[in-house]
Amino acid sequence: MTTPSLASLHGNRACAAGAIAAGCRFFAGYPITPSSEIAEQMSRELPRAEGVFIQMEDEISSLAAVIGASLGGVKAMTATSGPGFSLMQENLGYAAMTEVPCVIVNVMRGGPSTGMPTRPSQSDIMQARWGTHGDHPVIVVAPASVQEIYDETIRAFNLAEEFRTPVIVLYDEVIAHLLESVVLPQRDTVPTMTRKWASGEETTFLPYAATEDGVPIMARPGDGHRVHVTGLTHTPDGFPTQRPDLAAKATQRLLDKIEFNRDRIERNETFDIEDADVVIVAIGIVARAARRAVQELRSAGLRAGLFRPVTLWPFPEDALREAAAKATCVLVPEMNAGQLALEVERVVGPGKVARLNRIDGEPIAPADIVRRVREIAA
Amino acid sequence: MSAAPNIETAPSTVAAARATNVMVVGVGGQGVLMISKALALIGQKQGLQVKQSEVHGMAKRGGVVFSHVRFGAEVWSPTICKGEADVLIALEWAEGLRWLEYLRPDTGVFIADTRRIVPPFACRSRRRGATMAYARETPAEVIDKVSEGYALDAAAIATGLGEPRAANTVLLGVLSASMGVPVAEWLAVLEMLVPPKSRAINHKAFEAGRAWAEAAHDDASLRFDAGITGDVTHADMAEVSVRLDINAAWCKGCDICVKLCPERCLALNDHQVAYLKAPQACTGCHVCEWLCPDFAIEVHTTHQVSMTVSE
Amino acid sequence: MNDLLEAPFDVKDYLRLEMMPHFMCPGCGHGIALRCLLWAVHELGIDKNKLAIVCGIGCSGRVGAYIDANTFHTTHGRPLAFATGLKLARPDLTVVVITGDGDCLAIGGNHLIHACRRNLDLTCLMLNNEVYAMTGGQVSPTTAIDRLTTTTPHGNAEPTFDACRLADAAGASFVGREVTRQAPALKNVIKAGLAHEGFSFIEVMSDCTEIYGRKNDLGESPEMIMSQKSDMRPEAFGNVADQPFRANRLRAGIIAQRDRPEYGSVYRQRAAAEQAKAKAKS
Repeated sequence: MTTPSLASLHGNRACAAGAIAAGCRFFAGYPITPSSEIAEQMSRELPRAEGVFIQMEDEISSLAAVIGASLGGVKAMTATSGPGFSLMQENLGYAAMTEVPCVIVNVMRGGPSTGMPTRPSQSDIMQARWGTHGDHPVIVVAPASVQEIYDETIRAFNLAEEFRTPVIVLYDEVIAHLLESVVLPQRDTVPTMTRKWASGEETTFLPYAATEDGVPIMARPGDGHRVHVTGLTHTPDGFPTQRPDLAAKATQRLLDKIEFNRDRIERNETFDIEDADVVIVAIGIVARAARRAVQELRSAGLRAGLFRPVTLWPFPEDALREAAAKATCVLVPEMNAGQLALEVERVVGPGKVARLNRIDGEPIAPADIVRRVREIAA
Repeated sequence: MSAAPNIETAPSTVAAARATNVMVVGVGGQGVLMISKALALIGQKQGLQVKQSEVHGMAKRGGVVFSHVRFGAEVWSPTICKGEADVLIALEWAEGLRWLEYLRPDTGVFIADTRRIVPPFACRSRRRGATMAYARETPAEVIDKVSEGYALDAAAIATGLGEPRAANTVLLGVLSASMGVPVAEWLAVLEMLVPPKSRAINHKAFEAGRAWAEAAHDDASLRFDAGITGDVTHADMAEVSVRLDINAAWCKGCDICVKLCPERCLALNDHQVAYLKAPQACTGCHVCEWLCPDFAIEVHTTHQVSMTVSE
Repeated sequence: MNDLLEAPFDVKDYLRLEMMPHFMCPGCGHGIALRCLLWAVHELGIDKNKLAIVCGIGCSGRVGAYIDANTFHTTHGRPLAFATGLKLARPDLTVVVITGDGDCLAIGGNHLIHACRRNLDLTCLMLNNEVYAMTGGQVSPTTAIDRLTTTTPHGNAEPTFDACRLADAAGASFVGREVTRQAPALKNVIKAGLAHEGFSFIEVMSDCTEIYGRKNDLGESPEMIMSQKSDMRPEAFGNVADQPFRANRLRAGIIAQRDRPEYGSVYRQRAAAEQAKAKAKS
């Protein structure tokens, strides 16, 4: 079989399939609606792929085990939803600080707290960026279709490996349980990245020294370099420091390795954007509704367009600024009380931005968006 | 010899006035009680009253054991007062010295095994050459002090016969030579006391002890082994040379090594850093090294195979 | 393979000398515990390239940085969870967890009981100094009744956990305890725990002299360590005879050892069977 195969998959199953294709060989998780199918799928697939699945005692330990496995040199992931994602913030910060590649899937459901476990939401946009304490780098991808869940999960692993950072795959409950056709490429044609390993032969090796792209080379236990990994602010040798100059350098490099490599990380999709008066900025299932809305608006004579960040964080701000330059209005429909709008306002200026929010556990329909655009236009 | 109590005449003469007192001392496991039982049976066979009292309950192997045996026409008290023992028979050298003041100064007979059983606490230092808290007197010195004394390596004699545990029977043989009772009676008593399988060896041990004593009775120069100069002040330990390295840069002066050194040979200097104050006392036991939380002490010990310990 | 094998034990072979002297207070028992661990590692001939030390947060968590091995200083209470991932991903490594009484029994208590239940081949050293020392001396789950700490200014009123009984009840296949005063014995318990296939829980009775001992008039470092030997400090524990809590007198040595299937090998066996089935199908 040399041609790609076509399959009908649920979003969560596509996520698991993408992870296996990307080389993920370790999964630790804790059951939570609406992400549990990913764990279930991984528990079946991983042993066949010579990997390990483990159900831990909570989400804290799930991400801890994932980081432990990744420190051991294995590509690893976990999957959860809002409440579990809250518990993971502690170790998410640890992974960012110690630069351990890992992938965290957050299937968003209604909140706060237990909220509406089976209802969709997009209310973790800001938690995904700022959930853990301290200035930290993070990459968040926000797929909008089952195919994209598959592709972006693979890309999430590649970004995690390339930049030695946790990568969050953020999508809502609707896409998680959506059944769509997915093109699955041949296993060996899937582009995969692996972190830079130290050979163990180097005479001087600093586990946290910046390389050209700011990403340090990792030492695999057993290969010869016996390094120290700590969540304390550390110098290139891996050991803790409290010297202001060194601490500043260490934290700055963490942020810079993402900031300076935005072009390799950012991805967005636009639709009818070139001449748009109204630019709609949306992610996930809302972006799909927005695309339909754009078509309806266009046929009604309103020049609307869609800007969809695929990489949510770092936010593709230059691309949006360019796309929205000629627009008179930017509408941000989202299934929360207004999170993505904050970032859009920061990029294009608050005067231009209109909001459309839904916090009742129901997805935003194309008609909602059409109605809102007509309101603005009037 | 003249001072030896003669049991044959005892009922009529000496014992009429007073009883014969024999003290048997040693450490746990040597057979002190076997000797005192033998004496008690001998006394009974003479038709005398016998009292025997012993302390052995707290004696584990190696602990102090003593037994008082008194016999005479009429004996009331079971114990012997200081200075009233007619015979002191010691199965261990230092125990003999410990009870020496119970012996009659003018006529008492002292019979002792020169074999030393050094209790662990007598030598806190495990270093070769270290001074022990053990009796320093040589047999020659002690025999000179008592009115009549016999010091022999009974254990060596017994070992020579093939049974080191029969040392007490050797001493019983020595004792018998001072007590006018016919050999046959002693052997009959011995037969009652030892299990059948060890009768032969105990018989031989008794004879050997008696033979040694008879020779010594005739020649005072044989009453102690002049060859034993009493080098008992040194622990019988492998020679160890010790070097202690203290890393002053790592030491935090917590005082643990100073207070927990069994020999108290460390101290803190003016900078609160540990140093070896008494290197000669250091035994290389490693306690300071193990308990230093800062890895500041290294104990290097070199064990040397000593020619003198080849036995 | 390991040129240290033949040599007599020299703790310096296993320390990151550039990090020394370590930052623990004078008289802290953690240094002694560290020596005993490294001693056991040496005696078992474990290659330090294949040795992974996973630590939590607190004084105990800082111990790992001084070990010349693959060392991971993780988050508070979570080292067992990190170690679980590491060991499952890399069964070839010897994974040792160093944790403290607060790290292991309070914030990490859930991870401890599940690690005991799961029986993955990890060795967990819980350095028990009865106090949160790094944060300034607050009460911990193992602080004895009536003790003064910065958060029990009127004396501790909470019962004291018996960590070994807890681990035993949760199914740890090896449970041991020893005091730092008995360094060679401690080394032997650690050695037995490392050699045991399955989850080994070892409680090391350590001492915090600076923050806990001083506040409670337990004497200076030598006095504190000497009192360990005599009686495991029975007076410290009052009359607490309730079942899950600490008894007056603590048992030392190997407390429990049972033959239970090691989780990692069981998982790998089942995975291999699954792979064989898949191969047969295709």
